[in-house]
Amino acid sequence: MTGTATRTASEADSSASDGKLQVLLVEDNPADAELVLRELRREGFDVTSDTVQTIEDFTRQIRTRSYQIILADYNLPQWRGVEALEVLRKEGLDIPLILVSGAVGDVIAVECIKQGATDYVLKDSLARLAISVRRALQEKAQRDQRQQAEQDLARKAAELTRSNQDLEQFAYVASHDLQEPLRMIAAYTQLLSERYRGKLDAQADKYIAYAVEGALRMQTLIRDMLAFSRVGRNGVGSDPSDCNHVVEEALLNLKASINESAAVVVYKDLPVVAAERIQMVQLFQNLIGNAIKFRGKQAPVIRISAQRQGLHWQFTVADNGIGIAPEYKDLIFVIFQRLHARDEYAGNGVGLAICKKIVEHYGGKVWIESELGHGCTFYFTLPAHQADEKVSHVPHQT
Amino acid sequence: MSPTKPEILLVDDSPADLDLTLEALASSTYQSRVNTVPDGEEAIAYLHRAGAYSNAARPNLVILDLNLPRKDGRVVLADFKSDPALRSVPVVIFTTSHSRQDIARCYAIGANCYVSKPGNLKDFRTAVQAIEQYWFSVASLPD
Amino acid sequence: MNEIEVDILLVEDNQDDMDLALHALRREKLANKIFVVRDGEEALDFLFCRGAFSQRSFDHPPKIVLLDLKLPKVDGIEVLRQVKSDPRTRTVPVVIMTSSKEERDVVNGYDLGANSYIQKPVDFNQFRDTVKLAGLYWLVTNQAPSTNGVLHKQEQKA
Repeated sequence: MTGTATRTASEADSSASDGKLQVLLVEDNPADAELVLRELRREGFDVTSDTVQTIEDFTRQIRTRSYQIILADYNLPQWRGVEALEVLRKEGLDIPLILVSGAVGDVIAVECIKQGATDYVLKDSLARLAISVRRALQEKAQRDQRQQAEQDLARKAAELTRSNQDLEQFAYVASHDLQEPLRMIAAYTQLLSERYRGKLDAQADKYIAYAVEGALRMQTLIRDMLAFSRVGRNGVGSDPSDCNHVVEEALLNLKASINESAAVVVYKDLPVVAAERIQMVQLFQNLIGNAIKFRGKQAPVIRISAQRQGLHWQFTVADNGIGIAPEYKDLIFVIFQRLHARDEYAGNGVGLAICKKIVEHYGGKVWIESELGHGCTFYFTLPAHQADEKVSHVPHQT
Repeated sequence: MSPTKPEILLVDDSPADLDLTLEALASSTYQSRVNTVPDGEEAIAYLHRAGAYSNAARPNLVILDLNLPRKDGRVVLADFKSDPALRSVPVVIFTTSHSRQDIARCYAIGANCYVSKPGNLKDFRTAVQAIEQYWFSVASLPD
Repeated sequence: MNEIEVDILLVEDNQDDMDLALHALRREKLANKIFVVRDGEEALDFLFCRGAFSQRSFDHPPKIVLLDLKLPKVDGIEVLRQVKSDPRTRTVPVVIMTSSKEERDVVNGYDLGANSYIQKPVDFNQFRDTVKLAGLYWLVTNQAPSTNGVLHKQEQKA
């Protein structure tokens, strides 16, 4: 019998591309087999089928042909139809199997489903068969879709990782190799300036000064780019860092600008975090340096603190500087993005981008709250170090 | 034991770096006599007083770049340090490489010290002058 | 002594010289990571990570060893010989710092692989300046090999 006009769209989707539903019947009674097929056709399925009775034939069939559904009797002369599930597992095939059988009791029925049968239909209630088959096919289609999506995701993630690595490698090599010729330019323009200042004309002095300025700026830029590309190059280090020592080191590095600006940095009882020390120093140094640089008329006062939040510490670095307008809150973390003219504030806009990269490298977040004219508060999260947390630092002022 | 007119052998293939180093040495108070060679083979010939260098003075200090054409700096270093007549001459590796492997390998071959060429002019001069000051005023050199 | 990083290993048995050296280095803020041993045997134990120093690792050698020649138990030359002939310790910079003026000691020192030789000035102030300049040179100007592990593995491959 051919399909009727009652075939639904879902049936069409579930069946083979040529519209046929390929069924493997496991049944030793030809009359029962015929009844099942007739029922399917009556419900609109365009069925092609094979029938097997032994486990060997079953195994051979599923290896050589593809089926969308298996309908198996529970009781066969030499094996339990449900053993077919084991064969399917061994072959790594995900084909829905519905048991179509005489009464065997609820316990066995439930047991079969537990072992992986999709459903159980009684031979004298074949009216349920079509619904059961449709549902089985639908679920299989969904499973396939999900698996496909997961594979696509995995492949895209791998591509992205590879592309990122290529980019980092490129940035690193470029920055590294550019330093050498740049060193020559910077050194010799400065030598020119020293040797010939006042001996050529004022124009020459000006040109040389521009060249020196450009070379020096480029040196800083490339150094910053190198630092940026280095974050994450060596994997996530798990050596813990005591943030009190980290801040001490950062302050040592910033000694000149701290003295120059009469900056005061307040921090107390900072925790130990699961993050590499060199990166932590860079992170704090950039934030503190930033706070000092963008100071207002008053001497900078910078307060650093931390609050435990589950497995993380949330740090706060608050200053009393010029602040930033709310619309730039995200922009300031973008690499090379600057908010001020070069002659107002020096710098090339990499410092905060490096901070963001470092924090995100450890799975944390960084964000800012600020009002123009009222200072900035940077917040960022870092993973806590599980073992002995030394938080024994006395309030510290420089 | 500290020579009054120290002899320095400077080995560097970059004329720009040679000039920079010479300039830094010239402006110091030590009246060093600096001889330069542009590659490893010449350096070895100089030290062995071979060929054109038969009248070469024995250097009190060798300042050696690593990345040289023909004979690489590491090969030159190995050559000096395995020659009993030359091994006691102090060799300062002065190079742009910051690589940990290069540093470790040079020390293993027998480099006396390793100084990375700084990126900016001021620090470069400071480094060169520190090298001179240490080797000619602080350390004792073999005669 | 565990994995604390030591920048300077001072091998000195004379108390006055030791105090003076430490004082000079402290003024330059170079003394944070300095460790003092009083004889050649202790020096060898330290550098070869054995005995009282068995928790030390060859991967974290000091950046510089300031080695006196006249030492009890094992003398400086023997310490130098052993350190410079073992691939695990050969790359550690060793600076002989001694009162001897003998030319043969100088040549011998360099021949045996000492990275440098410094004669201790008799004058108090000069001694201090010498130690300060030496400390600055070997810790700031110079690049010490940071870990021996790298080289060690390479040598095994070769």
